Amino acid sequence: MDKLERLLNLTAALLDADRVLSAEELRRRIGGYPEAKAAFRRTFERDKEDLRKMGIPLRVENVPGADPPIEGYRILRSEYAGRDLRLEPDELAALHLATSIVRLDGGETGLHKLGGAVSGAVDAAEVGHVPFDENLAALIAAAADRRAVGFAYSGVERAVEPWRLSFSRGHWYLAGWDRIREDQRLYRVDRISSPIELLDDAAQPVGTPTDPANLRGWELGDGTPTTVRVAVDPDQAAYLHHLLGEDSSRHGETSVVEFKVRNREGFRSFILTFLEHAEVLDPPEFREDVVSWLEALA
Amino acid sequence: MNPKLTASERMIRLLAVIPWVVEQQGAPLDEIVARFDYPRPQLVEDLTGVVFFVGVHPFTPDSMIEVDISDDEVQIRYADWFSRPLRLTPGEGARLLTAGHSLIGGDFGTLDEGDEAASPLLRALAKLGMALGEAADQAVEVRLGHAPAETLPPLRSALSRGEQIDVEYYTYGRDELTQRIVEPLRIFSDNGNWYLHAWCHRADGERIFRVDRVRSVRLTGMGVEHRASDSGGSFTPHGDDPRVRLRLDPDAAWVTEQYPTESVETDPQGRLVVGMAVSTVGWLERLMLRLGPAAEIVSIDPPLSPDLVSDAARRVLERYR
Repeated sequence: MDKLERLLNLTAALLDADRVLSAEELRRRIGGYPEAKAAFRRTFERDKEDLRKMGIPLRVENVPGADPPIEGYRILRSEYAGRDLRLEPDELAALHLATSIVRLDGGETGLHKLGGAVSGAVDAAEVGHVPFDENLAALIAAAADRRAVGFAYSGVERAVEPWRLSFSRGHWYLAGWDRIREDQRLYRVDRISSPIELLDDAAQPVGTPTDPANLRGWELGDGTPTTVRVAVDPDQAAYLHHLLGEDSSRHGETSVVEFKVRNREGFRSFILTFLEHAEVLDPPEFREDVVSWLEALA
Repeated sequence: MNPKLTASERMIRLLAVIPWVVEQQGAPLDEIVARFDYPRPQLVEDLTGVVFFVGVHPFTPDSMIEVDISDDEVQIRYADWFSRPLRLTPGEGARLLTAGHSLIGGDFGTLDEGDEAASPLLRALAKLGMALGEAADQAVEVRLGHAPAETLPPLRSALSRGEQIDVEYYTYGRDELTQRIVEPLRIFSDNGNWYLHAWCHRADGERIFRVDRVRSVRLTGMGVEHRASDSGGSFTPHGDDPRVRLRLDPDAAWVTEQYPTESVETDPQGRLVVGMAVSTVGWLERLMLRLGPAAEIVSIDPPLSPDLVSDAARRVLERYR
């Protein structure tokens, strides 16, 4: 029997039964599985894994009344179908257009489940590309559904109630309530070093997230910021002011710019993009940091 | 059309096709092909050779799906188990929400929340949000790029009208503010930055400009003379730029996210080896000084000075003496 046919029959059997079915019952009801026990087990395990990967909510429960306990399976119709969105054709078309214009890395959008592409292929040039991965999807889903999450970040386990995921200047940021620090925090999603674990319901109300657009690499970090003064050549100063979103019309001699720095590495990296056209003046430890970094390379 | 679909890909499609056809009380084959991106021969084969045999124990005619294709019209009946589409996974929901929010407000510039054109998308996102959770409308925010409010609109308007523009541009590699007449060909976003792909009169060729480095834009009233080549508008580094290969430590892997790479390999020690075009020596100096010990130059073709990095480091150090 064709694998596709077997998977469809397996799903139909699990949806059709209003009770938990054991693997043996499924084998008898569906047909198409190998006779030998070991071969059947292998095929059945693969089938279960395939169904899960497709997003089919396969439950594993003990078969009631069996002694010793026997593992059984079921799919609840309510969990299988979820909510009917009832999208109008123009709404579906708008979503389809959005997924055509903005390319997200990897994965399916599930648009076909909502009724597919309305008028076949959309003739629209892609204008944007946004990185995307499974951790990010899990965080967005948790923020939408007000669930707390656990993950590892900077080598520390965090418990966070996510508020908002923002894509800004090429990076995804998570803003939310850090339960352990009992304070609002901002995290770079690409620096989360573990899968996202779903915890209980969020308890804190959604606050006003810090806008990562206003943050620079050197401003991200814990602790109090240090004021660092930098001398920048005039032609570079115009660009620097432009970059910082300030009036770039000021010209003149070398200009001195102040930065509030929380992340020394991020700041050093930024200042070095100006090569010999910028010089860290003070405090001394920041100046020394640049000098020793360069001496190691000279 | 499509490469051959796997069993899982066909099943995912069928679980969407079946409830849709049932609800429509029949549908033309070609419409199913287009809507669900299902190659026609495969669709016909799957409907008649697979779905037709799907059912539940004891597989008597009344416990099986009925499929009928006549005159290119598909009818599906008795598919009770598959009468509703499979729910969206959290990942799919998050992707749809993200794609939709990318087009709303911010500096996308073509859709504002008040726009009539945005209304179907806003309605769709509201319905999607209801399925995803109470806080879905605030859960995700996407800025495709950052540019001063006065820059992007004139670029877009010049592009749509086919007009040459006079721009002041901060050239990253050469440390200078330049003025040039360019003909916009395309505006696109990649990894959080807006780019203008244009024919540049100063360079006498196509160039890619980062919109946040554009200091000013002036419309000239002159029509464009050049059309886009078929390069697709992604990065097309100058063919004669030198090529560098860098070996990167894991904590320098961000380079592959922030700069266009031509090749990315992993060496036996698990470190990345990336190939990139060197637009200017200054660009490479900056990158290497920032990366410090986390990166090493494997090769440059054609060769540049072997002391490129140490010379640059010494030059900057001069300022601190």
